[in-house]
Amino acid sequence: MSTDLHMLSGAFALDALSEEEAKQFRMHQRGCSACHEEVRELRQAAARMGESEPIPPPSALKARILAAADQLPQLPPKVSPIEGADSRRWTTRIAAAAAAAVLVVAAGFGISQFRSVGEQSGVTRVFQAADAHEATVKTRTGATVTVATSRRLGKLAVETDALPSLNGQRVYQIWAIHDGTATSAGLLDDPEHGAAMALPNAGTLVAITVEPAGGSRAPTTTPLFQVDPASV
Amino acid sequence: MSEPGLRLVPAEGPADIDALCSSVARGDASAFESLYDELASAVFGLARRVVRDPARAEDVTQEVFLEVWRKAARYDRTLGTPRTWVLTIAHRRAVDAVRRSESQKRRDNQGAPDEVVHDEPAEALIRDEEHDAVRGCLETLTELQLESVRLAYFNGYTYNEVATLLDKPLPTIKTRMRDGLIRLRDCLEGAR
Repeated sequence: MSTDLHMLSGAFALDALSEEEAKQFRMHQRGCSACHEEVRELRQAAARMGESEPIPPPSALKARILAAADQLPQLPPKVSPIEGADSRRWTTRIAAAAAAAVLVVAAGFGISQFRSVGEQSGVTRVFQAADAHEATVKTRTGATVTVATSRRLGKLAVETDALPSLNGQRVYQIWAIHDGTATSAGLLDDPEHGAAMALPNAGTLVAITVEPAGGSRAPTTTPLFQVDPASV
Repeated sequence: MSEPGLRLVPAEGPADIDALCSSVARGDASAFESLYDELASAVFGLARRVVRDPARAEDVTQEVFLEVWRKAARYDRTLGTPRTWVLTIAHRRAVDAVRRSESQKRRDNQGAPDEVVHDEPAEALIRDEEHDAVRGCLETLTELQLESVRLAYFNGYTYNEVATLLDKPLPTIKTRMRDGLIRLRDCLEGAR
């Protein structure tokens, strides 16, 4: 199996593995310094192929990117060895620092329409539970996000109002963030009707980001907001 | 920098990008702008090549540079040069964009068979003079190595899809991708 996995280094360097295989390969690589070195070299070769046909982008793009970066907080350096160089990690610290500025960033992506797969009854149940706690966060653009938790139901629900609509290429995605790792809790398919999820364990934050259609494996934009359910 | 025996690095050379990356990691916006100037054409060129649509290539380019900005402090030098780091992000983002739109299309077409887009020949791919080395080295690959590498890298196909497209067994394709890249690596090293 491990020889087999090792042979995937080329496909891995070309981003030609399925998600599942890429995950397996990354795990294999962690215990295999030879693979690590090989991937580094093969990526370098691939990158040289990739940069071999440069095309100057339209000049307006530069201003757009610089303006967006200006609104975007940076992640702190890693201080202890954590898994791989993939984008799976997300630090709560940054998410917190970023919470305020974010709708502006989201707007920068040019967003304007929703997809939907909501679970309304679950949401309503949580909000109407006898032991429901609620907290409402107002975003900069005047949208509101209300989070309710019910310990009895073991559920957390999110309702939003006046969130900017997204074009078909972006969706709102909900995350449970624990120890700096963000796990997808699903797409906010129908922001009008909100979404419900299992109440996360203590110390887990819930955040919403704007992601490409279909969602991401890890957050790729700064959260619109995040909340500690324990504080609700 | 001017110690005897050290080779002079051109202003736009790799050492610059290294230094720029370090400054970007410390939140230096003007370094970020310079880094953009250095690498935007390479990133946009690759994005165009993979996603094809110019507007989407711009989106990918934006995603790439924002990721670079966001994660500059986490860039790990042992994983490769900063240039490779940026190009690696660019490729992953471009491929993600293609796969997203493919699965979207598949949903829209409700299982209609995929249209196979045949690429321009590899020769047309690489024009820039300074990249003669890359072109020369790609020519040393066998036809199957080149096809496998090219379809994966520039079309964003998984090795499984490449195997299907080329009607070859999976192990063959994964091996060709690996030995093709190894050959490219060795040739590029020799060409330096």
